[in-house]
Amino acid sequence: MKLKAISALLLVASFAQADGGKVQFQRQAGVFNITLFSTPATVRAGRTDFSVMVQNTADKSSVLDADVRFHFTQRSANSIASVSAPARHDQATNKLLYAAQVDLNATGKWRVEISVQTKRDSALVTGDVDVEPPEPPLLAHWPYFVALPIVALLFALNQLLKRRRRAVNRR
Amino acid sequence: MESAATAAFESWAIDARVVALLLLTAVVYLRGWLRGRRLLRDQHDALRLAAFMASLIVLFLATESPLDAFDTLFLSAHMTQHLLLMMIAPPLLLLSNPLLPMLRGLPKGFVKECLGPFLTWKPLKLFFGWLVSPIPAFVVFALSTVLWHLPVLYELALSSPAWHGLQHACFFWSGVIFWWPVIQPGPGKPRWPKWMAIPYLLFADILNTLLSVVFVFSGHLLYPSYGIVRAGNLSALEDQSLAGLMMWIPGSVVYLVPAFILVMGLFTSARMETTTAPERVRRTKPQASPAWSRHAPLFRRAAQAVLLLLAIAVIFDGFRGQQVAALNLAGVLPWIHWRALSMLALLAVGNLFCLACPFMLVRDAARKFISPKFRWPHALRNKWLSAGLIALYLWAYEAFSLWDSPWLTAWLITGYFAVAVLIDSFFRGATFCKYVCPIGQYHFVVSLVSPREIAVKDKATCQRCHTYDCIRGNEKSRGCELYLFQPKKASNLDCTFCLDCVKACPHDNVGLLAVTPGKTLLSDAYRSSIGRLSKRTDLVALVLLLVFGAFVNAAGMVSPVMMWEHGVHARLGVHAMPFIVGGFVVIGAMLLPIATFRLCSVFNRNIELARRLVFSLVPLGVSMWAAHLLFHAASVWTMAPVAWLQVVILEAGLLFTLYTAWRIAKSSTMIFLPWASVACALFASGIWIFFQPMQMRGMMH
Repeated sequence: MKLKAISALLLVASFAQADGGKVQFQRQAGVFNITLFSTPATVRAGRTDFSVMVQNTADKSSVLDADVRFHFTQRSANSIASVSAPARHDQATNKLLYAAQVDLNATGKWRVEISVQTKRDSALVTGDVDVEPPEPPLLAHWPYFVALPIVALLFALNQLLKRRRRAVNRR
Repeated sequence: MESAATAAFESWAIDARVVALLLLTAVVYLRGWLRGRRLLRDQHDALRLAAFMASLIVLFLATESPLDAFDTLFLSAHMTQHLLLMMIAPPLLLLSNPLLPMLRGLPKGFVKECLGPFLTWKPLKLFFGWLVSPIPAFVVFALSTVLWHLPVLYELALSSPAWHGLQHACFFWSGVIFWWPVIQPGPGKPRWPKWMAIPYLLFADILNTLLSVVFVFSGHLLYPSYGIVRAGNLSALEDQSLAGLMMWIPGSVVYLVPAFILVMGLFTSARMETTTAPERVRRTKPQASPAWSRHAPLFRRAAQAVLLLLAIAVIFDGFRGQQVAALNLAGVLPWIHWRALSMLALLAVGNLFCLACPFMLVRDAARKFISPKFRWPHALRNKWLSAGLIALYLWAYEAFSLWDSPWLTAWLITGYFAVAVLIDSFFRGATFCKYVCPIGQYHFVVSLVSPREIAVKDKATCQRCHTYDCIRGNEKSRGCELYLFQPKKASNLDCTFCLDCVKACPHDNVGLLAVTPGKTLLSDAYRSSIGRLSKRTDLVALVLLLVFGAFVNAAGMVSPVMMWEHGVHARLGVHAMPFIVGGFVVIGAMLLPIATFRLCSVFNRNIELARRLVFSLVPLGVSMWAAHLLFHAASVWTMAPVAWLQVVILEAGLLFTLYTAWRIAKSSTMIFLPWASVACALFASGIWIFFQPMQMRGMMH
């Protein structure tokens, strides 16, 4: 019973962080080498997991005590949209990375500024991220819908086999 | 964060779905192992259990540990993950002889009805027998290993989580197929001589060595993705060589050690398997209720007291507290937490809310001073009144935004207490519960798919009983106030889980027992105090209202419907909103189901059959309520999106409904099709609702 309860709770509380993923760009700034990843690989309008790896350029060792912030901006003819978010280790699965979930609600090119600050050094890198239109929800959740026809097919086969067995028994 | 090593060690990629699946598998195996142990003691030794659990732990480590978090950065981490999936988890799994324990651990009905036809299907048995014979097994394993290590496919797996998952699944299952002829798990005698595994393993080692050599000595990077980001001092090429060595040395050990053991076994002629007949132990005893159910009446009073205190707190805060729903107990506790928790209780156990109902505690206290003298009027002994109240609730909930008004919520709960006490002060039995309480009717209907039921343990004991204490009562306890005679009670319908019958039964023959969820929907047997479902139009109306009401209730919160309502409101005038919402509820939860029922009954040509088929929609309705209520609760509890969980719950409800309808229709396609179409249409509308922006309730915006 306890196990059932734990499983149920785990199911409800499922929010596995998924950082890492596709490398969006890699830049060198001062003493730092900064790499931006995104999950999913194709960034779509909506919530995306962005994560950053900060390394010392000299020995490629990971910098783990930095203060990292994202600042996304998109300029259009009439307006400027901007989103800021702090990136932290506790939001990342891979604790060498700094991650944040960012809601980019418009498609097109977004400029991202990543600021990195440690006690001794600081750096600012910029790059572009292409944001595609969001996937239709049915397509985004397709693995969950595949189960339906499979179960229906298996059930049809199950009924067919039962019917056949009954016919054989009658004979 | 102390160091990179500490950070790496803390990088667990826990996916709740995988963990839940592994836990469920462990529970099923353990259940089957324990059952098997009672029957065939020496075939279920602890080592097999340990091997199974170890294989699950290895799978957990391979997919959830830091290995998974680092597999896109280091090829060596990824290779270790693959070794665990192909070479460690599968043999451990097969050493546990998993087939029989897993089958024993699953519900008997599921194994017999669902798996049975496949397990005895000759072509499938032949195919499986062929697949796990040495040559095909080796070919499958070799193809899986070689093809997935080709740069094109490996890069594809690195770029897409779906392909990555498929790659891991291929490695694990091809590993299971590969190790099958080596370990030859039961049931049945070994099909191939033991010595055959020696060349088989040696060939596998040769393949493994050749592949490893490519990694170690290729001199160029096979997978460019690993060259983009480097962490630490290890270059991408060194990492690749390390991965090759991981594959080569531990891989060879995994193949050669069993081969060596087999050679030694052949030389010493030691028999590896015991041939003595297993000792059979026969165990048949009636299902026992859980140990805690003996103390259940006491537990009931305690639970009622807790809920009464909470209700008082909600009423107090609703009247006196801040009138902001998200900051008031009356805005959050009943509408968000209680509804979701009672649904979880219904799905996990049964009607626990009615068991702990605080209204009944107050009523029981009032009855110490007032004894009811009247019987509920005959014309009202049905579900029409409660169905009307549910319709009224569905309307009032949206029309007056009950969820957003702590003051109204407090009044509603106070009114509920007053009406419960008033009705049960005048009328005998649990009149309020049986004929009036809308919450109770909702719980009765949903508990039709609950996994536990208050039921008799041994029917023969009831046949010998002539006192009928379960319904008449005795000095220990009153009898069933809802007039349910246990031997004729066939479902949770109208059962408040009050446990009076449990306490009253002098033979300790009534308990909270496990049942197959929804099984009672298939039967039209006479039910005590209810009669036959096919004769109860009022119950059919109640079920239709609750099923369609689930969709209407959720639809009322999504953006397109709300915009439509507000659009009509703007056209009609200031005070029109309650009428618009009323129209929506009447059309969606009353007229539409009536029209649907009428149409389907034309196809069925039998009104009683059509009434029974309405009950097949219960699982779908329950799943819609569950998905919707859990969405709001999960939004507050975890702040995490649960769209996938909603889809899975609704799919489970659809499949359950289709199966129930198919069984009630006795496999007649013409009878089944109209109801299947209704279920599919409701399912599609549910999916549409879930994918719309939904108003977040009980939260600060």
